[in-house]
Amino acid sequence: MAAVNGALARALLRLFAVQGSYNYERMLGVGVGVAEEPLLRGLDRGKYGPAVARGARFFNSHPYLVGLAIGATARAEHDGAAPDQIERLREALCGPLGSLGDRLVWAGWLPLLSGATLAAIALGAGWFAVAAFLVIYNIGHVALRWWALRAGWEHGTRVSVALHHPVLQKAGALLGPAMAFAVGAALPLSASSLAVPFPRWAQWAVLLTAGVCFLLLRWRGDRVNGLRLTLGIAALALVVGLIW
Amino acid sequence: MILPIELLIALVVWGTLVGVDLVSLPQMMIARPLVAGTVAGAILGDIPTGLKLGVVFELLQYDILPVGAVRYPEYGPATVAAVATAHSSPSGVLGLGLGALVGLVTGLLGGLTISVLRRVNSRVVHAAVAQLESGDPRALIRVHVGGLLRDALRAALVTAVGLVLAWLARPLLAGVLSPRDALVLAVATVAAALAAGSAGTLRLVGRGPNLAWFAAGLGGGIVAAVWLR
Repeated sequence: MAAVNGALARALLRLFAVQGSYNYERMLGVGVGVAEEPLLRGLDRGKYGPAVARGARFFNSHPYLVGLAIGATARAEHDGAAPDQIERLREALCGPLGSLGDRLVWAGWLPLLSGATLAAIALGAGWFAVAAFLVIYNIGHVALRWWALRAGWEHGTRVSVALHHPVLQKAGALLGPAMAFAVGAALPLSASSLAVPFPRWAQWAVLLTAGVCFLLLRWRGDRVNGLRLTLGIAALALVVGLIW
Repeated sequence: MILPIELLIALVVWGTLVGVDLVSLPQMMIARPLVAGTVAGAILGDIPTGLKLGVVFELLQYDILPVGAVRYPEYGPATVAAVATAHSSPSGVLGLGLGALVGLVTGLLGGLTISVLRRVNSRVVHAAVAQLESGDPRALIRVHVGGLLRDALRAALVTAVGLVLAWLARPLLAGVLSPRDALVLAVATVAAALAAGSAGTLRLVGRGPNLAWFAAGLGGGIVAAVWLR
């Protein structure tokens, strides 16, 4: 038991660098292989090498939930599952883990806390809000990585059970509305706090320009992104300012 | 911009950590502009400027949803360069516009280098296929650590280039811009960042039930903003 916990802890540490060699050929595959390797050390000599090689093949999913696949495939290797069954398990997990992680983290937990932090800064919380963001975000981040790895290891090839965990379902249902509310509130508060040093005419100019830019992004979002638009508007402002 | 060498080193080290955090290690979100900007401000002894530029680039960050292998600008080291620019500018409004401009160019460059790094990593992995397929864990770790080190080098270079741009911005632009020009630049960048933040959030929210929550938050935020004035 202690050996398993030690291996899980080593795998967890390596999971933090799972995207370290991200590439277009195997995506996260090499990082997944590196993180899975401590869990494979107990295998027979003849099984260890092929299992390590399998672990490093193509894999792509959300980085925080990839531990679920690592734990599950390592457990399947220990349980003596056939190589093609393990390959199928890896393939089957890519999509669901990716979409679940994107929904929970990139479109939920992260923008929720970012929006709350923006609002808190606008209300005068200062650097304390940023420190709170880092601490709270990472409590959720580390807990999710650890849960995923342990759940994968516990369930093995029946890992789909873990994906239907009620906490995940509940979190998915709550984070969307909370994120929408927090970022919705943050936008006008941030606009107000950023425009405070501007004279009245410039504050109206911010509102008008933001409206035009917003419509442009909604209308031609396929061609224009925030970076290009902001660079373009800044260049235009420089020219207007110099001519005016 | 003339900063003491120890501050420049501290900014490059911080920018490198921020750049590596974005994708490689440990993704604890120090790469978010709010965090990157605030700490860069603290290094320079100017937290308010760090917070202000952090907010501008955090809004721009909402335009990005980092799913799959999507290409996106890198706003972490960009925010560090932006804060360094703004801190060295003679007035707050000039600093905001000029800092955002330097940060945007740095962000664009950072995004390009991420794409190049992934292509280089692909070649390295392709060249090591035989070793990887043999199941040799040392080869696996060598390929992986190599990727990490290349990312650290990339992030350091992006931050250094951003700081060079910050150094060039003042003589090239700050001397030419009148206070009114600087204000127009600040207005443009703040407005575009707000638009990008709003459009990006609406893409996340979609047209489902969350839209009502977004509208409720927006209404609450407007009321609070008016009340605070």
